Amino acid sequence: MEKNLSFSKNGQNLSTPRAFRFEHTFDRYPRSRENIDEEYWNRVQISQDIDQLTHVLSTIDDKSNPPDIPDCVETFSRIVESIIAKYNSGEINRKFGKMTEEDAFFIEAVKRMSKLANAFSEFPSSASTSPVFNRISMVLQRAMAFLEEEFRSLLEDCRDNPQSNYDIFLKNSSFNYKNQDQSDQRETESCDFPAYSLEVVTKMNNIACTMISAGYETECCQVYSVSRRIAFNEQMKRLEFEKINMDDVLKMQWETLEGEISRWIKVVKTCSGSLFPGEKNLGESIFSDHPLICGSLFSNLARAVVIQLLDFAEAVSMAKRSAEKLFKFLDVYETLQDLIPAINDSCSHECEHQLTWEIAAACDRIGESAVSIFCDLENSIKSDVAKSPVPGGAVHPLTRYVMNYLKYACEYKNTLEKIFEKHANLERSLPMSSKLSSSDIEKESESPHNFETVESKTPFSIQVVTVMDLLDTNLESKSKLYRDPSLRYIFLMNNGRYILQKVKGSTEVRQVMGDTWCRRRSTVVRQFHKNYQRETWTRILPCLSHDGLQVNGKVNKSVLKERFKIFSTTFDEIHRTQSTWVVSDEQLQSELRVSITSVVIPAYRSFVGRFKQHLDSGKVDKYVKYQPEDIETLIEGLFDGNPTSMGRRRT
Amino acid sequence: MPATDCQEASSASFSSLGFSILSRRRDQVHSMESPHEATAQEIELEAFQKLVAERFHELAASNSGELLTIPWTRKLLEVFLCIQEEFRVIVFNKKGFLNKPPMDRYINEFFERSVKGLDVCNAIRDGIEQIRQWQKQLEIILCALDNQRSIGEGQIRRAKKALIDLTIGMLDEKESNTALAHRNRSFGRSNVQRDRKSFGHFRSLSWSVSRSWSAAKQLQALGNNMVAPRPNEVIATNGLNVAVFTMSYVLLFVMWALVAAIPCQDRGLQTHFSVSRQFLWAVPMLSLHERILEESKKRDRKNACGLLKEIHEIEKYARHMNELIDSVQFPVDRRKGG
Repeated sequence: MEKNLSFSKNGQNLSTPRAFRFEHTFDRYPRSRENIDEEYWNRVQISQDIDQLTHVLSTIDDKSNPPDIPDCVETFSRIVESIIAKYNSGEINRKFGKMTEEDAFFIEAVKRMSKLANAFSEFPSSASTSPVFNRISMVLQRAMAFLEEEFRSLLEDCRDNPQSNYDIFLKNSSFNYKNQDQSDQRETESCDFPAYSLEVVTKMNNIACTMISAGYETECCQVYSVSRRIAFNEQMKRLEFEKINMDDVLKMQWETLEGEISRWIKVVKTCSGSLFPGEKNLGESIFSDHPLICGSLFSNLARAVVIQLLDFAEAVSMAKRSAEKLFKFLDVYETLQDLIPAINDSCSHECEHQLTWEIAAACDRIGESAVSIFCDLENSIKSDVAKSPVPGGAVHPLTRYVMNYLKYACEYKNTLEKIFEKHANLERSLPMSSKLSSSDIEKESESPHNFETVESKTPFSIQVVTVMDLLDTNLESKSKLYRDPSLRYIFLMNNGRYILQKVKGSTEVRQVMGDTWCRRRSTVVRQFHKNYQRETWTRILPCLSHDGLQVNGKVNKSVLKERFKIFSTTFDEIHRTQSTWVVSDEQLQSELRVSITSVVIPAYRSFVGRFKQHLDSGKVDKYVKYQPEDIETLIEGLFDGNPTSMGRRRT
Repeated sequence: MPATDCQEASSASFSSLGFSILSRRRDQVHSMESPHEATAQEIELEAFQKLVAERFHELAASNSGELLTIPWTRKLLEVFLCIQEEFRVIVFNKKGFLNKPPMDRYINEFFERSVKGLDVCNAIRDGIEQIRQWQKQLEIILCALDNQRSIGEGQIRRAKKALIDLTIGMLDEKESNTALAHRNRSFGRSNVQRDRKSFGHFRSLSWSVSRSWSAAKQLQALGNNMVAPRPNEVIATNGLNVAVFTMSYVLLFVMWALVAAIPCQDRGLQTHFSVSRQFLWAVPMLSLHERILEESKKRDRKNACGLLKEIHEIEKYARHMNELIDSVQFPVDRRKGG
């Protein structure tokens, strides 16, 4: 059942019965039946006559002797002209709704005209053929001009009409976008692209085929490409894409530019994901019989749009380089990479080749900038020279910064690998480049625990290792700012542990550094631990030695008192000094405490147990300041940064 | 390491080939620096000056028939790229030097000028696109008329329509709207409103640059504050800033020439060119500038949207075709309003 759309055009009410519908038998109106029948059969007859004439003219060999021209030519011309007039005056509604019988007849008539004109053109000009030829030629030209406008109008009006959005969404999945998620459908509803109903597309397809077969391909393609270019542009504007001059891009503050980049990324992703595929589908539907034409039309559009998008990416690549920009740059790189398959699917070979090259060139520029930014990390590390050490031997801000940066960067590991690989190839091919990176590598390979243990030797991983090396060197020189060797080891332990934990905590960084590196680093941290222990606590042990206290089998009281005094003093001093030191890693903290306890407590306990009795009973408290449990408690309180009170505790 | 032709060894010939300021400086510097090193860089810089001069002489040697044609413009761009490549080689070898004052300022200025040049190139792209649109109209005319077989009145009409579209396409945007109205009446179009919208966009030169962008202003900004280095500045930079100045001037000229030749948004040619003839390339460059400027003042080219000879050819052809078509008489009674 057809919907009878009610329109009023130029004051005419068009919902009155239209005289030319034949597809539904129940739709005929008795009072005009005869007229319809007569008109219909007249048309059929005339069409046959025209076809016959065309055939006759085409098959005549001797073109100098043309046959007589029948009246049907003039009649046919008038019919076609009157239909055009009716369309132009609005008597026949042509925009929405299905192809009517009138539309179909018209299209066929124009095709016939074109064939007939062709046949006539074979004949040299003569008194008999020329006037008729001119007549047909003019009618054909008028028809083509009309169709051209029709085509343009269908392309432009339907794109502005929200009504058709619904049509396409409800009726038609074949136009849709293969890459759309179910979850994205809500969004596609509001910005359907291209939003033409199936009927409109069919009409456009008919018009295009007719124009092309009549030799009016250029006009047809012009209308299409101009209209689609404008439509695409409007769609980009809807996505808030604005053309910014390169000059202005480079003058922007980073915060503003970051926002523009995000917007640009959204636009490019939409192009890759839905706009280009949609455009390709539309072209294929309208120029269904002419794949070369629709390929070339799409290529031209894609080229124009992509070059415009690349302008921005290239401007961004020229922006002043600084560390925080890396990640946005990498986002741009990845977005551009994703654009390539969208082009490859749809363009002609030559265009695809050209565009892929352009996109790759833009990616290279971004890549080079990214390399430069990343390598700038090295300079940041080198220039971070401290005059005073971090209090309490804590993890240095530089360590945190570098490790977090590396962690974040390694999330883009695949992209960075590609970029650095490209960069390395580029460096190799430049005859006069000062090969900075390779000489640095040679230097760094002297460093024992980084370069050799790293498993993968890709340009990127070498870069990461270089950074790691520089950090180690930097930390080492910072550690020398501590006069107290114990604190120095705590510092090295803290930072080393932090680095290790960060690496282990990130899959990508771990992949770069490798398990061997992790094991080695663990060993190194343990070594610092042992060194600390030796520096601090083993000097307290001599006073707990059982040797030297007995002279001739008797305990020397004064030596014993001295020993206790030394122990308490030393311990107090250690505690006082080290109570503000921090070990942020909890596990390391407890490991330290456990190992200290295991060294000190048994020795103290055994010493106290063995020799306490030899002290004068009234004076025990004076010398035995701490019970073993007290020592234990105090040790447990170390390394969380809170100085505990030194109050005496009695058991 | 200069990549240009091999140099003559004798230093006497340098003063005839090279830039005189540099020679002067060389005498002063000889006592300070190791002569071998100073000469190597000087050779490079003088070779660069010589290269620029030679290339521009080649360009200026074109006769008036060749000047501003598409092949000539292509040659201009090739010259530019060649010079830029040499410049790049020179600069690349001195990377460390460029980060320090005063070179860092000169290089920075050059960078900013280059970026402005890039915007000009983007705008020119739109102009080329517009010329391609005209080409399409020409294709239609060819298709209609270039036929071994008989040409019907309809095809003549078709060619006429395409000619009118072409003429409108070559007009200024302001003038085109009235022309459009005439066209629509004669070709029986029902909706003028719609046409103006689409036609306006069709000819828009704002695809690649923002609506407010102006070629004239951009050229002005590009050439802003471009002064030849003074002798003390030359010494301070070992002559390197002379190369930068030269490159900047070449950039300015090439961009200006492109804007002159090809349609672009807010095209204006008033950029001031004046450079000392001590520079070997000054003479051919200024001569080209003068010739192009003269072309722009000619009566039949004053209002052209671009000075490319081919554009002029299209204009002449269109006018000629128009007259030809209008002179065709048709014996048959034509329907009105067609």
